[in-house]
Amino acid sequence: MEGKYSTDPEWASVTPIDLDDGSSSGAMPLATIAYPAEYLEATSYLRAVMAANEMSERALSLTKDVISMNPAHYTVWIYRAKILFALDKDLNEELNWLNDVSLKYLKNYQIWHHRQVLLSSKAHFPTFPPKEADFLMEMFAQDSKNYHVWTYRHWLVRHFRLWDQPRELEDVEFLLKADVRNNSAWNHRYMLRFGPRDTSLPDAGMVNAGDLSTAPTEKGRLSIVDEDLIDGELKFAQEAILRAPENRSPWWYARGVLRAAGRGLAEWEGFVSGFVSEGAVKSSHAVEWLADVFAERAGKEAEAVRMLTMLKEEFDPIRKNYWDYRIRKLDQAVA
Amino acid sequence: MPLGKRKVRFPHAQKPNRPTSSIPMTSAMNPSDSKARPGIPALFTQPPPIRDPLITETIDLQNATLEKCLPFLKGIHSTQKDFNDHGVPALQRDLHISYLYDALEDYPEGFVAMDASRPWIVYWALAGLAMMGEETTRFRERVITTLRPMQNPTGGFGGGHGQTSHLAGSYAAVLSLAMVGGEEAFGLVDRHAMWQWIGRLKQPDGGFRVCEGGEEDVRGAYCAMTLISLLDLPLTLAPGSQAREAGLESLTSGLPEYLSRCQTFEGGISGSPGSEAHGAYAFCALACLSILGPPEEIFNRHMDIPMLVSWLSARQSAPEGGLSGRTNKLVDGCYSHWVGGCWPLLESSLEGKPDSTEPPANSLFSREGLTRYILGCCQGNDGGLRDKPGKHVDSYHTCYVMAGLSAAQNHHYRTDSSIASNNFSSSFSWKSSPSRDPANVFSRGDRLEPMHPLYVIPHRAAEQMRLWSEAQPLFV
Ligand SMILES: [Zn+2]
Repeated sequence: MEGKYSTDPEWASVTPIDLDDGSSSGAMPLATIAYPAEYLEATSYLRAVMAANEMSERALSLTKDVISMNPAHYTVWIYRAKILFALDKDLNEELNWLNDVSLKYLKNYQIWHHRQVLLSSKAHFPTFPPKEADFLMEMFAQDSKNYHVWTYRHWLVRHFRLWDQPRELEDVEFLLKADVRNNSAWNHRYMLRFGPRDTSLPDAGMVNAGDLSTAPTEKGRLSIVDEDLIDGELKFAQEAILRAPENRSPWWYARGVLRAAGRGLAEWEGFVSGFVSEGAVKSSHAVEWLADVFAERAGKEAEAVRMLTMLKEEFDPIRKNYWDYRIRKLDQAVA
Repeated sequence: MPLGKRKVRFPHAQKPNRPTSSIPMTSAMNPSDSKARPGIPALFTQPPPIRDPLITETIDLQNATLEKCLPFLKGIHSTQKDFNDHGVPALQRDLHISYLYDALEDYPEGFVAMDASRPWIVYWALAGLAMMGEETTRFRERVITTLRPMQNPTGGFGGGHGQTSHLAGSYAAVLSLAMVGGEEAFGLVDRHAMWQWIGRLKQPDGGFRVCEGGEEDVRGAYCAMTLISLLDLPLTLAPGSQAREAGLESLTSGLPEYLSRCQTFEGGISGSPGSEAHGAYAFCALACLSILGPPEEIFNRHMDIPMLVSWLSARQSAPEGGLSGRTNKLVDGCYSHWVGGCWPLLESSLEGKPDSTEPPANSLFSREGLTRYILGCCQGNDGGLRDKPGKHVDSYHTCYVMAGLSAAQNHHYRTDSSIASNNFSSSFSWKSSPSRDPANVFSRGDRLEPMHPLYVIPHRAAEQMRLWSEAQPLFV
C-alpha cells in the first residue's frame, strides 16, 4: 500500500512491522477493529522504531501523528516522553501543544501522566512554572471535578511544595464559590491544610497513615496543631454549611479538621443543633453529627438511637440498613 | 474512570431502528406528576426529603439526572416491559446475551480509540456472558489467538500487538484466559517473564506502576496482586527491581501500608495518596487488601472502618437507588460493581473470622434500591446496559452493571477452607449463595451467576487457574 510513510524518503530505511492480529493461527481473532489505513501504516512504523528504540526527530513526529489519531494509545505517550528527554527538546513548547490536546480530549488521562513526567524533570523545571495554574483553571472551567486534573494538581503541590502558595487556596475558594458542592476542591483544600509535608516520607491522604505503630483511627491526627488555623478552617466550613446545609462535603471536611486537631465533634453541638429543630430538620448530616456526639456521651445512647432512627425513618431512608447497623452497634455497646 | 479508556459505543447502537437516544422523553410522561406503577415504594419515586434551595452546577446535574430517571423508576417509560409485582421490569436476558456476543466481533473504524483496550473488550464480554450463564469455553481458541500477539517476551500483555505491557491489559487478558480455561490457555502466559516484569513495576513506596514509564496507582496494585495470586507467581522481588534496590524484599512489601495511605479524610479511598476518595479505586484497594489477607484482619489493621463504611453507604442515591463514585457526583451504573462490589468485602470483614456455617446475610446497603436502578434505568432498548438513562450502552457498563446486579442478588461470604495450598489462601476461600431476602424485588428469571468477589470471574475459573499454576511451580 502506498502511504504517507512508505512513500517518504525519510522513512525509506525503516521496515515497518505489520499488525499481527493472530489470525495466522487459523482462528478468528476477537474484537477486531477496521482500522483506517493511515492508522495501520503509522502504527506499523511505530512498532518498528520502538523495537529499535530509535530516539529521533522522525520518531517524535510519528508519535504526534499517532496521538492525533488515537490519544488513548498509552504506549505512544511513554515513547514520546523518552524521545523528548533523549533529544533534549524544548519542554515548554511541548506543554503548549499539550494544552491544546488536553482541551480537545477532556476525558483523556494519558496526557496528565505525560505532563507529570515532563514537569518532574528538575533540570527543566527547577521551580513551579506559574502558567500551570492558569491552564488548570482553564481545564476546571470545562470540568471542575476532573479526577485526573486534580490528581495532577495535587502532585504539583507536593513536588513544588506549594502548600502555602496563595494561588492554590485562591483557586480552591474560587471554585467553591462557584459550586460549594465541588468535593474535589474540598479534598484539595484538605491536602493543602493538613496533608503531610515531609517529602522524605511517602505521600498520604492523611498524616500517620501507613504507619503501623498508630491505629487507623489515628490517621489524620496532627502532632503539632495550629489552633488558629483549625478555627479558621472550621469557620470556613460553617459558612459553607450555612449556604447549603444538606451538602455532605463541608460536614466531612469539618470532621477532618477536628480530627486533625484531636478535638471532638461535641464542640459543634450548638451550631449543629440549629439544623435539627423539631419539625424543621435542615440537614441529615447534622442529625448524623448529633448521633455521633450522643453516642460518645455516657447516658446519652438513647438520644443517639433517636437520631439514628430519625435518619432511618424520615430523613435518609435509602440508608436504612446502615442506620440499623449503627443502632445495633450502640445497643451492643450499652449491653 | 480508572480502568482504561472505556466509553464504547457499539455499531448496532447506531443503527437507525429504534435509536435509544432519540426516544422523545415527552411521550410517556410529565415525570414529576405522573403516577408510578403499583408496587413501587415512594422512596424510589419521590425527591429526597431534604433539598437545599441553593442551586449550583452540582444540583443542576442532579436534577437533570433525576428527571431522566423518574419515568424509568416509576415504571412508566414506554420502552420498559415485563414488569413484576414490585413494578420492576425484567432483565432482557436474550437481548443482552446477543449484545455481548456481538461485542466480541468486528468494530468499525470509529473504534480506533479502543485499540489499546482490546483485552478489556474481550474480558467485559466474556464476564458478562459468564454471568448470564453462557458457556465461555467455546471461545478458547479465539481468545488465545487474540491475546498471543499482545504478550511481550519481556513479560506481560500490552493493549495490542507491539504495545508496552500494562497491568490493566494483563489483568483483562489473564482473566479472559481463566474464563476460557484449559491447558493451552493457561500455558499461554509466560509466568516467569510476568514475574520479572511485575518486579520492575514495584515501587519503593510499596505500590505498583501500571507499566514501565507509566503512573503508579491503586488499580495497578489490584491488577498486580490479581495476577500474582491467580498465577501463583513467586513473591521474591526479581533481581534488578528498583524496589529491591530500595530495600524491599517481596512483591507484597509495603503494599498494605501504601493502600492505607490512600484512605482520605472522607473515609473513602483514592487512586493515589492525596487524591479524592473514589468508588472504583475503593474497590481496587479493598479487593487488593483482601487478596493480601483475610478482610477481618487486614481491613482492621489498615483502614479506619467506621469512616469507610459511612462513606461507602453515602454512595447510594435516593430516589434513584443507584450508586455514585464520589461525594456530590451522579449515579452511574458501573459503580453498581465498583461500589456495590465493596460491600461483600466489608460485610465479610465485619462478620469476623469465618467458620463452617454460612453467616447471616446482613446487607448494609439497599439491595432493593440498587436492583431497581439497574433493571429500571440501566437496560438499553436493543440490549446492553448503560450508565444512566440518556446514555448509550457499552460493553464496559454492560459488564459492571451486571456484576453489580449479581452482587446484589447473591450473598458472598468466606469459609474456613481454601483450594490454595500456600500464599493467598483466603482469596480462594470465598463462597456464595443466592440471596433469599424476602425484600428481593427481582424475578426468578433475572438471576445472574455469582462472580468471585475479588477476581470478578466465575469462582471455578479462578480456582482452575490457580490449581493449574500451583501444579507448575516456578523456580526462581
Ligand atoms: Zn460508568
